[in-house]
Amino acid sequence: MSKKAKSLILHFVLIILVVITIIPFLWMVFSSFKTNSEITSITPTFLPKLFTFNNYVNVQKSFNFLRLFANSLFLSVAITAIVIYTSTISGFVFAKYKFRGKNLLFGLVLGTMMIPWCVTIIPRYSMMLDFKWLDSYLAIIIPAAVSGFGIFMMRQSISTIPNEMLEAARIDGASEWFIFHKIVFPLSQNVISSIAIFQFLWSWEDYLWPYLIISSEEKQVLSVGLKMFNGRYGTDYGGLFAATTISIIPVLIVYLIFQKRFIDGIAASSVKG
Amino acid sequence: MKKIFSAILVFTLLLSLVGCSSGESKPSKKLETDTTKEKNLPVLGENVKFDPNILINNGEPKEVEFWVWDSAEIFQSIVDGFEKIYPNISIKIVSHPWGDYWTKLPLALQNGEGPALFCVHNSQHDNLINNMEPYDIDIKDLTADFTGAENHVIDDKVYYIDYGMMTGSIFYNKDMWTEAGLTDEDIPATWDEFIEVAKKLTKKDSKGNITQAGFNYNSDVKSMIMGLNYQKGELLFKEDGKTPNINNDTMKENMQFLLDLYNVHGIGSKDFGVTDAESFGQGQSAMVYKWGWYYNQLSNDYPDINFGVFRIPTPDKDVPFAYDRYNGESTIGISSTVDDASKEIAQAFIRYFMSNDEALKELCIKYSIFPSKKTLAEDADILSHPVLKTLSTTVDYLIWPGPFPSTIETTLQQSFEDIIYNDSSIEDSLENGNNKIKADMEGVDFSSVESQYKHIENK
Repeated sequence: MSKKAKSLILHFVLIILVVITIIPFLWMVFSSFKTNSEITSITPTFLPKLFTFNNYVNVQKSFNFLRLFANSLFLSVAITAIVIYTSTISGFVFAKYKFRGKNLLFGLVLGTMMIPWCVTIIPRYSMMLDFKWLDSYLAIIIPAAVSGFGIFMMRQSISTIPNEMLEAARIDGASEWFIFHKIVFPLSQNVISSIAIFQFLWSWEDYLWPYLIISSEEKQVLSVGLKMFNGRYGTDYGGLFAATTISIIPVLIVYLIFQKRFIDGIAASSVKG
Repeated sequence: MKKIFSAILVFTLLLSLVGCSSGESKPSKKLETDTTKEKNLPVLGENVKFDPNILINNGEPKEVEFWVWDSAEIFQSIVDGFEKIYPNISIKIVSHPWGDYWTKLPLALQNGEGPALFCVHNSQHDNLINNMEPYDIDIKDLTADFTGAENHVIDDKVYYIDYGMMTGSIFYNKDMWTEAGLTDEDIPATWDEFIEVAKKLTKKDSKGNITQAGFNYNSDVKSMIMGLNYQKGELLFKEDGKTPNINNDTMKENMQFLLDLYNVHGIGSKDFGVTDAESFGQGQSAMVYKWGWYYNQLSNDYPDINFGVFRIPTPDKDVPFAYDRYNGESTIGISSTVDDASKEIAQAFIRYFMSNDEALKELCIKYSIFPSKKTLAEDADILSHPVLKTLSTTVDYLIWPGPFPSTIETTLQQSFEDIIYNDSSIEDSLENGNNKIKADMEGVDFSSVESQYKHIENK
């Protein structure tokens, strides 16, 4: 088979996969302009028969959408920024420093990724109660401030930075802080981008923990607000789709900003040397 | 990269202003010390009374929370009325999604961090009761004002009662009814009449495939089957009130009856519409048996369906042992883990709520539930509601088995689906279902209140 034919087949398969992936998303976006009866119709439609903006107009009526949107944005950006910094600095230590128990400590960090997070909810809730952090953003930000996944990714990435480069900086009189901030951090941009995307997405869609911790409606997050469309005896699908469509905009923006470096970062972290 | 990080940093700082500005939860209203004990306001209620001419919390300002999962606007109007009387009190309503409300509420109550007032559903009785404060209301007054209040007495205390009763009715498509040449005179009273009407409403194509079902029960047999048993005098629990009575001849007979509706009389099909509610809403089925909540769903999601409601048919023309099962919509709960001042406010609010006929009526109409407040039983607005008008004729002959575990409903549904979709025998399916329910209920502290049914002696 010629190279061109292989390429054509590969592209065809990829297009099919793209269509399969994107159709549900497009259906949701189009359905946000439909009435509920059309959405639940036995004969489903892809494009709206009767185009309506009512679902968007009523979003703010269902709950304080803008407030919750801002809360989610603040928490996601803050957690992502903190995680990037803690992951990079921890990854640097694990990759470039030698100390007793380093591998054991790194093993423990990896171990945290293997514990299902849901089993930690009750003890974490009790801790927050003891700290008097209930109904406070600290209870959401602090437990998420250090990420095992982020540390692992950064360690793998920083390991590829030549030791000679760091040694040269030390000989020139650079402090460890200077080396970290001016050499290691800029050289880790690709992996930072991939961590940023993952972490932002996880924080943005986090539901149960913020819901359990936050009591005040004005402090609540968007994922909890979206759940309000799902009532006891039925779901307001139109409202849910409209609010969800708006709520994915920040995720798309983050992905568009970081996508090139994200792809480079994933490739780089999978190859050592 | 530096620009991106700078932008993110600036953006975060800006957003932190939004985030931090919500750090202090503001009271719902500006609170003032209440110095006027005698407010010259009338005492509300007949037996359960609310006397506004008292000071609450010695007139000192205090805010409490009230958690709800629905109808925040109705509860807010009740709260507004209460706050108008007491300038020192603020009751802050916090809305929650229904599904996870039952995860958060028990956790919050247990830790003393929960609300003073919260909406209750009797299916969550076991999860909540240990952290609930009994009402400071005489049980005699409660039973004098509210039907079925006696079913909720635990060790001479009441923690919540029902403000309304929800049960099932037959919803029918009026346009299909007219098209089939049927009139109001044809509303069926017995199951035999019902089958005849359903046959007229069923349409089939030349190959014999159903194009319009006369009746559809797909996905919701669980709501109907217990009522069918009650009609024939068969209770859901044995005499000890704890052992489930699932595998019996009446249940077998009723399951066979449901199968025959499709397989013998051909008025519907297991493959015609996954869910009865949707099939009716889409104008594919002419009749469904649904509980009161369906009225609102139809009005909201399927506004084009022209529907009517009639009473569930019975085996014959006589009044049966009972028409159906009902489940109560519970009144508001009070937390036992909040401070005494919050409890005092909560107790006063409960009295205000229980003596507020207009508010109770509004809630009952919203959920299509028949009010348990006796003064509302003959109310013109209640009797003009299609579902409630139908229920008014049967309300005395409805049974509440108590807040039984959900496994009974879900297992009965599974057992029937096993029969209709997997060709299991009725005997085997019920035997397995009965064993599963028994296993699920081991260790559950539940006692049926069927024995307190008004007409139990007719069994």
